[in-house]
Amino acid sequence: MEKKTAVYVCSGCGIGASLNIDPLMSISKEDYSVPVCKSHECLCSREGAAMIKEDISNEGVNTLVIAACSPRVMYDVFNFENCIVDRVNLREQVAWCQKPGEEDTQMMAEDYLRMALAKVEAMELPVPFKPEQEISRDILVVGGGLAGMTAAMEASKAGYGAILVEKEPELGGFQKKVGQIATFPYKDLKDNRIISDLVKAVTSNPKIKVYTGAAVEKTVGGPGIFEISIKQNGSLAEHRCGAIVMAAGWQPYDPGKLDKKLGFGLSPDVITNAMFEEMSFGGNVTRPSDGKPVARVAFLQCAGSRDPKHLPYCSTVCCTTSLKQAVRIKGQNPDSEVYVVYKEMRTPGQAEDLYRKAQESGVLFIRCQDPEVKAEGGRPAVEAADELSGETILLGNLDLVVLATGMVPATAFGPDIGKELLKAADEEKKEEDLDVPLDIIRRSKILNLDYRQGPEMPALRYDFPDSHFICFPYETRRTGIYAAGCVHRPMGIGSTLEDAAGATMKAIQCIELTSRGAAVHPRAGDMSYPEFAMQRCTQCKRCTVECPFGAINEDEKANPLPQPTRCRRCGVCMGACPERIISFKNYSVAMIGSMVKAINVPEEDEEKPRILVLACENDAYAALDMAGIHRMTHNPWVRVIPLRCLGSMNLVWIADSLSKGIDGVLLLGCQHGDDYQCHFIKGSELASIRLSKVSETLNRLALESDRVRFETVSIIDYPKLPGLLDEFAEKLVEIGPNPFKGW
Amino acid sequence: MSVKVDPKLMKDLEHFGLKDVNKCFQCGNCTAICPLSTPENSFPRRFMRYLQLGLTDKILKSPEPWLCYYCGDCSTQCPREAEPGEAMMVLRRYLTSRYDWTGFSRKFYTSERFEIVAVAIVGILVGLALWLFRGSNPNMEHAALNSVWPAPAIEIADLVMAAILTFFLLSNTYRCAKFIMGDLLYRIPPAIYIKKAWELVVHFATQKRFGECTDKMQWFVHLLIMTGYSTVFLLVAVFLAGGLHVIGLYWDQLAFQRDVEYAIWHPIRLLGYYATAALLYGTTYAIIGRLKKSKAPYKNSHGTDWMFLILLELTTLTGIFIHFARIVDLPMTTYVLYVVHLMVAVPMLVLEVPFAKWAHLAFRPVVVFLTQVKEEYFKEQKMLA
Ligand code: SF4
Ligand code: SF4
Ligand code: SF4
Ligand code: SF4
Repeated sequence: MEKKTAVYVCSGCGIGASLNIDPLMSISKEDYSVPVCKSHECLCSREGAAMIKEDISNEGVNTLVIAACSPRVMYDVFNFENCIVDRVNLREQVAWCQKPGEEDTQMMAEDYLRMALAKVEAMELPVPFKPEQEISRDILVVGGGLAGMTAAMEASKAGYGAILVEKEPELGGFQKKVGQIATFPYKDLKDNRIISDLVKAVTSNPKIKVYTGAAVEKTVGGPGIFEISIKQNGSLAEHRCGAIVMAAGWQPYDPGKLDKKLGFGLSPDVITNAMFEEMSFGGNVTRPSDGKPVARVAFLQCAGSRDPKHLPYCSTVCCTTSLKQAVRIKGQNPDSEVYVVYKEMRTPGQAEDLYRKAQESGVLFIRCQDPEVKAEGGRPAVEAADELSGETILLGNLDLVVLATGMVPATAFGPDIGKELLKAADEEKKEEDLDVPLDIIRRSKILNLDYRQGPEMPALRYDFPDSHFICFPYETRRTGIYAAGCVHRPMGIGSTLEDAAGATMKAIQCIELTSRGAAVHPRAGDMSYPEFAMQRCTQCKRCTVECPFGAINEDEKANPLPQPTRCRRCGVCMGACPERIISFKNYSVAMIGSMVKAINVPEEDEEKPRILVLACENDAYAALDMAGIHRMTHNPWVRVIPLRCLGSMNLVWIADSLSKGIDGVLLLGCQHGDDYQCHFIKGSELASIRLSKVSETLNRLALESDRVRFETVSIIDYPKLPGLLDEFAEKLVEIGPNPFKGW
Repeated sequence: MSVKVDPKLMKDLEHFGLKDVNKCFQCGNCTAICPLSTPENSFPRRFMRYLQLGLTDKILKSPEPWLCYYCGDCSTQCPREAEPGEAMMVLRRYLTSRYDWTGFSRKFYTSERFEIVAVAIVGILVGLALWLFRGSNPNMEHAALNSVWPAPAIEIADLVMAAILTFFLLSNTYRCAKFIMGDLLYRIPPAIYIKKAWELVVHFATQKRFGECTDKMQWFVHLLIMTGYSTVFLLVAVFLAGGLHVIGLYWDQLAFQRDVEYAIWHPIRLLGYYATAALLYGTTYAIIGRLKKSKAPYKNSHGTDWMFLILLELTTLTGIFIHFARIVDLPMTTYVLYVVHLMVAVPMLVLEVPFAKWAHLAFRPVVVFLTQVKEEYFKEQKMLA
């Protein structure tokens, strides 16, 4: 594409009052020979946009530099088809956060304009990725329980085909064994008809192909082009599908592992909540030991849950389940004595009403952190310190003790490949491979992914294949694969229905976006994708190891085999590659490099240090905007470059900046670690790991390592930003000017 | 030691007037307002929990319900309308029935029919006795009670009745002490009991703990009824015939039942007036309060509460009528009123004192006393250690 550039400077929103627009025009015209340079007092108005459109059609401009507000706003107005567009943030990050009319302010605006012009110079229009194979619109659903069947139904209702794979000989999952359910509106128990209704609907639906007694033997490819091998009765079936809903369900926590105090095994009358369901299916609850009716029952909550030695998390449903079972016993025999011994009673949402119902029917609730099951004269008894009275009480002569055990996701079983890798690496003694923290991926045999990074979904915590619960509730860390139901997180019936519908919707979005060559969340719609200049690849494996989404496979010779439909376009591979051979059409190492070069670094005697800020565009850049919106003045020496993710930071930019005379580099990324906020999971963590190696480079340049700093900020930290920038600037003044100035 | 739980207790206590204790969510507002609660003793909240769990053993051993005078502040503050004050009242009723070894008290509390029938039977028996044992030559010209039922004879009946009542009341009080003190009852040296005996008197006479509650009116009314009642008791039990007539130890000048009127300033007459006025005011106030449910302690009325007040009010009123009938010298009216008066007063004493509400006149001061004895004992033990 022959580029014809145009620069538009807006003087509205206080920009004109703060800056002198004419020099900006002349920089574009004279230094960069931009043929079309215009200013407007309100560029985002209908007239402003019309003016640009006119230039596009009349002048043939196709590369637009729009110097106005932040790229985070007005993106719909400044969206011109088939044009390269870059936004210069003159409003939030210059006019609104710098002293108006000052020389420093003007210099900052001019630098930003130069940087944008350098950037568009290096940018190209993305060409959407089209795989060779035809994109499939079918959704593979793994697991035929409540979540899986709901997902298949939702897909078919939306007009998509579904392939449902269930490992058991019958559909239904755990709920099949549940006689009565407690769900919205939680006023009373209901007979469980959900499963039988769903099984009927699913099996009679022509858009759903059901495999029972089957397993996914292999999953190859990526979104749009997954090739699935399904094994059933020794024969293999092949399907192509566009996205996957993983609804592989859960297992009850193994009661054999419970603390001895809870008494499992002490008597056949000490059972778990799951055993309660099975044993009472379709009939009355009786004493397992002798089949006699039950009149005295105790439920012990959190059996092995919320306990660092067992399941550290709350399974959220076992409280409601115990309430349901307690109400059931009371319904069977209103004179029975039913006790619930709990740590905290957790009845999310309206399940509180069921608690009330249980209380009204005479169930006694006892708060105790540490109850003990004993055998007293052949009958189980529970001793518990009742917190509210301060007395230790004895619930003796019980007919049944029910341990409320929690849920373990199906992904929690099987050996962790991380450990295998560690072992292998230990043998090879390849240290550098190890500094990137390994994902926990267990060989749970659910998807059998043919991915270089491991055969199953990486776990976020506690073996749940989640991504970021708050920001991306349905996302996993493998593109196009969405977890639903209790494999995703422990949940009850109502949430499962919702979760399955949500995951299906995400799967549909994924198919649609992929078929257009666009990225999915969080860069939904991005048409660019990483391209590898393979001639220069040294097979170092950095990209395959670091890609947080497992989007790059490998051949036997360790050549990376990128799978663009799996890619989320974070650029982490681009930051990782030491050979700098990975680039996007509109985002590359060279592009950011030339932006750095475009920064005007004043001579030492001008006493105008320069600080390069590489800011994650998801949080840190937004926080800088927020500071501007709140008119918080910040340091005039900074020059900010937004990055897709701090993980895309390539060390060469730091070397380039410092050797150019820039006094310091500040990296602003998201919080990482257990409570990470990085949109790409590991980006900021990887950046900080890379940075730990930068001192080498600095030493080579004979520079102080204090010149480079990494800070984590989230969007709500914006009030701290001006202080943080000033403090860094002071530190740099203390260190003294960069000796490379003027080279 | 772990305590046994009895979820059926709540149901049982409904007969004693228990409301829905399950409403209580253990917030502790009642404890925050209750003057009896201390940092170590979260009262009455803890007892709401005892009730919810049915910790009968704990309840039996607890002195706290007796320390509560039912000012009702807790019930007013309770956000759940769980009526903790009434729950403590219920506990007192329940405890009275548990202290009573005859089982009569439990019947009395749990069945209104039994209560009414029992009162009626005793009343009729008294009436019959008075009819049977009337003087052979009644003075029909002047109102002279002694001519029909001579004071010394009545005194003997009085003493017999007092002996029986005392026996029941004391045996029940002993059981109360045993429950509350357990082994300590005998382990604590008598010196401590003697040292603290004064408290027993002070508490009985002034009810100063009640005075600590915010609603002083309740304390005042209670004090009026208590002192009025005690005065009357003194007058009829000790001074009816001017002392112990049976053993010849009496002084006619102090006899309560006598046919010649005392001068208006005479201490016996003045005492009689005080007692009457105090009882009339106190009882009427309580009856109106209960009818109007004017404040928390009057909101819930058990059958025995009504029985108690009605009998007391009737006793007082008939007492007043007798007095006036005598002054205007209407012999027949006086005699009839006298019979009615006793038909009301005696059942009240016989049934209420050892077995029902009146029993608290013994239990409460004794429990206050015992708790102080216990405290003192532990204090000394601690100093020794
Ligand atoms: S739902 Fe209840 S029983 Fe289950 S882990 Fe959470 S608090 Fe414990
Ligand atoms: S690191 Fe990011 S940009 Fe690179 S292949 Fe993986 S997902 Fe795509
Ligand atoms: S990081 Fe770069 S050099 Fe290394 S394997 Fe990947 S593409 Fe090749
Ligand atoms: S009785 Fe009322 S005020 Fe007292 S703890 Fe219970 S709910 Fe709270």
